[in-house]
Order: sequence, then C-alpha cells, then structure tokens
Amino acid sequence: MANKQQPSNCSSCGSGGMCQGRGLVTLKDGVWSNNPLAIQILGICSALAVTNRLENSLVMGAALVFVCVGSNLFVSLLRKVTPHRIRMIAEVAIIATFVIIFDQFLKAFYWDMSKQLGPYVGLIITNCIIMGRAEAFALRNPPLLSIVDGVANGIGYAVVLALIGFFRELLGTGAVMGYVLLDGAWYEPNQLMILAPGAFFAMGIIVAVFNALKGPDVEGKR
Amino acid sequence: MKGSFYTLCYAAVLGGVCALLLTATSNFTGPYKQANAKAEEVLNILSVLGVPFDVDASGERLVEVFNANVREKSQGDMKLYFYRPSGGKAEVVAVEFSGAGLWGPVKGLLSLESDMKTIRGVTFYEHEETPGLGGEISSDWFQGQFVGKTVVDDAGKAGIFIKRGADKSASNEVDAITGATMTCDKIETMLNKTVARIVKGRVENGQ
Repeated sequence: MANKQQPSNCSSCGSGGMCQGRGLVTLKDGVWSNNPLAIQILGICSALAVTNRLENSLVMGAALVFVCVGSNLFVSLLRKVTPHRIRMIAEVAIIATFVIIFDQFLKAFYWDMSKQLGPYVGLIITNCIIMGRAEAFALRNPPLLSIVDGVANGIGYAVVLALIGFFRELLGTGAVMGYVLLDGAWYEPNQLMILAPGAFFAMGIIVAVFNALKGPDVEGKR
Repeated sequence: MKGSFYTLCYAAVLGGVCALLLTATSNFTGPYKQANAKAEEVLNILSVLGVPFDVDASGERLVEVFNANVREKSQGDMKLYFYRPSGGKAEVVAVEFSGAGLWGPVKGLLSLESDMKTIRGVTFYEHEETPGLGGEISSDWFQGQFVGKTVVDDAGKAGIFIKRGADKSASNEVDAITGATMTCDKIETMLNKTVARIVKGRVENGQ
C-alpha cells in the first residue's frame, strides 16, 4: 500500500543532484525545519537522560545517526516485500538489530562510555524518532533518499543533544570535556543543571530558541 | 491463506537474518569484551589494593602485575585478595561485594588496611544507576571519600554511614550524592553487610 503513494521519481539518482533536489530538502527538514527534537519534540526521554555531559551526548548522537541510517535503509529496501500487517514488527526487528550491534561495539571498544550510558543505548530501540522515520519516510521512499533522511534526522537529534549537553555540563560543572571554561574561583557550579530539572530547562530553552529562529510555524501559513 | 504463509515466511527470514547478524557481532566483539572485562576486574583489584602500576599499561600487562603481586584466597563464599605493600609488614585485603542498587545490581570492591578497620579503598565497578546521579558512585570524588575512614565508629561500634551533610571529622561518615539518596542508602547497606561478613569469617577462622 505504502509504495503506491511513492511520489518521487528518484530512481535516477546520480545523474543530477542527489535525488533530484529532494535530498537537500530532506536534509534541511531533518536537521532544521522539522528537527525531531526541537520542532517535533520526539524522543526527548534520552535527550533529557544522557545530556548531563557533552561526551555522552555526542556518543548518543552518533548512535542515533548510525541506527537511523541503518534502519531507514533496510526498511526502505524491504518496503515492497514487507507484508503491511507486520511492517511495524519488521521495523522494530531491524531497529533492534542495529541498536544491539552499536551497543556491542561500544562495549568492545569504548568500554567506559558504554558504562556511563548504561541502559540508554539499548533504549534507542524504543526511540520514537527512529520508528517515526521508518514509518513516515522510509516506507514510502527509495533507499538513497531514506539514507539522507536518516542522516538528517540523526544529525538533527545529535546537534540538539550536543547543545543541551554542552550547556548542562558547562553550567553544572564549570568545565566541558575536561576543559575548565568557567573558573571555580568566581563561578559556583550549578548542580541543578546536572540534575533532571536542568535537562527540562535546557530542553525548553532550546525548543524556544529553535522555534524563534525558524519563524512562525508552517501551519500558520496554511 | 496464501498471504498468511508469505507473512510467516517473511517474518522467519527477517528474524533469521537479524539473529545471524547479532550472533556474528557478538562473536566478533566477544574476545574484546572479555579482555575488557578481565582487564577491568584486575584494574579494579589493583587500584583498590593500592598496588602501583602504570596507568597506561595494556590489559595484558595489568594481568601480569596482578599475578606477581596479589594472592587470591577463598573464604566461605567470599573471594579475598591479599597484597603486601612494599615496606609494609602485614598484608592488606580486598573483598568483592555486590547487591541491589536502584535500577540493577551493583558490584564493588572494598579494601581494608591490615588492622581490618581502616578503609584503604572502595570502588563500585559495575552498576546501572542513573548516569550523573546514582552513577556518580563510581566517580573518584565519591569513592575517594572513603579512604582513611574506618568501618567502626570511635566507640568501636560497627558501621559506615553515607549521609547528607556528613560530618567530615567523623571517622565513619562520608557525604551522600545529591539526587541519589536511594542509591546511597542501598550501597551503605551493602558495605555494612560486607564488613559484617568479613568480621564473621575472621571469627570463624579464629583469627
């Protein structure tokens, strides 16, 4: 059903620009105008939970880019053969596979970080950004464009996470990734920013800034 | 009917491929994870015992240092690690402990000086506590607080306390972590149980 609605004629990728100009639009959508975190407010559980350090945020962002690209690619490749009734189960199976692969590699080569992130890497399986992109985009679009969408949304998520992580770590500890930026001599680290409420404040401010910069919502024009 | 059959086949194939991928990943990363785990176990024991080692040393080197310096001994269901510091007369001891944290099991090591009262070091090397909150139990500032404290108070009553606004001069109190009261309570219980077990084991061994 989904593949009948396929709007684009993107099969001729490679001749001109990426996917006949839709690539850039898709990229911009995911990173900016339809940012999964700041505009759609999706997947904020992990965004609130792991962002007390910039490093954690970056690794989490990388995880999401990897999983989103992988799941979008395979959901898109399989979109014509997947039975409609079990498509969501199939999507979750694909997503879970990528998440566990990432988690295993983290455990093998980046042990300390894996311990810091604890269960949150595994919880990417339930991240609604990834499921949402598979359902809303990859099921209806060709593989290459779906990869672009995966990258775009992954980066959109990672950038917001990095911003939150940067400010929370900076204000909460006075240092970022080991570099002291706010000297303890005159700056009293604000514990609140490390704690859960700090995540909500930071998230709220970033959502507000994103929306202010983006201008009035498209819905207003409709 | 035909549709159902196709659906079943599709699900089976997809499931099979995913399982295959995961098995391959697991097999590939297995040795690295094991080496990490072993190196970390050894590293934990070496650090909590205060055995000198090169911080940049490879996992294999750490295992060598461990084998050369540390003596293992089972006592009941406890595994004890003994080490004689250079110049020291008596051996210091480390013991593994574990228990329930807030979100999952917490594992750690407690090391005591040869008087069996003074804490030489504490480390929580495995836990699933919230990063940044309960997860801070594995941070240096938290674990460092324990060094030099005693597991009994000045009157000789057993117990080490993790408190909000602990009295720094008290010999058996350390500061709790803000926002992680439950975790702190649980590890406090864990530590005290461990101390009790060590004492019990020593009494049974007639030491």
